[in-house]
Amino acid sequence: MSNYLAWRVEDFAFQTDIPTRWGDNDMLGHLNNVVYNRMIETIVVRFTMNPLKINWYTDPSYPVVVESLCRFHRSLSFPETVTACLRAGRIGSTSVTYEIGLFGEGNVMPAATGHFIHVFIDRDTQKSITIPDDIRSRIEAHGNIAV
Amino acid sequence: MAPPKAETRDDYKYFLNLQTRWMDNDLYGHVNNVTYYSYFDTVVNYFLIEKGGLDIHKASIIGVVVESHCNFSRSVAYPDMIECGLRVGHLGNSSVRYEVGIFKSGETIASAAGHFVHVFVDRESNTPVAIPKEIRDAMSGIVAEAKS
Repeated sequence: MSNYLAWRVEDFAFQTDIPTRWGDNDMLGHLNNVVYNRMIETIVVRFTMNPLKINWYTDPSYPVVVESLCRFHRSLSFPETVTACLRAGRIGSTSVTYEIGLFGEGNVMPAATGHFIHVFIDRDTQKSITIPDDIRSRIEAHGNIAV
Repeated sequence: MAPPKAETRDDYKYFLNLQTRWMDNDLYGHVNNVTYYSYFDTVVNYFLIEKGGLDIHKASIIGVVVESHCNFSRSVAYPDMIECGLRVGHLGNSSVRYEVGIFKSGETIASAAGHFVHVFVDRESNTPVAIPKEIRDAMSGIVAEAKS
């Protein structure tokens, strides 16, 4: 089993900062679990827009999520800013698995790790299709970084 | 990638009906993937309150989520009514793995299914504690049957 706590920001090819908001904390005083999943979605969507350059409104094909997972290692809390990190894991014919880490402000160990699986579908037929070549090559450029 | 096994209503032991809300839909016109996790949160905590007598404001213990997971098979959209099915997949000393299925009202095949793992900790010290008897008894009542 992977040692998820050993994941570091530098191991990821794509990073983005996400500020927390007052309303993200629940009654236990830290970010509600659903918000972590929202951050995972946020970094994946940012990645699809740039560098993948997917236009969610007009492209003839686009990705849909078929699976997501989050492991919660330590709590995050408003008002810290979270550094969300992404790298491409398994790249299949029609699907890609993104590996995600969420890091709290000033922490080298991840607060959460997880994955998010996209399947590309045709906008009209809603059937899965092969990942377009230009998008695939951009995904491949953001794969695992040799540590 | 093999698709996960279809989950059906009779795989679950406890159900909570929920009304989807306008804001649950995203720009593709169906419930956003992250929103399913708020349904998980809702059914699990409602079960603990209703069947386990958990006082979410004053109890000396709290449930901390250590893992959540969901497979998305088909879409649900506002204004659908949904039923959240719940069962316990593993009951440990301080941790419990819940398994949740999200059904469009009246449908037998789940639209989404996943799991949600709680570790119970002392509210003050934050260290794991044994699940209190009343809550454990409630959980024992919805343990998944072993499939042959």
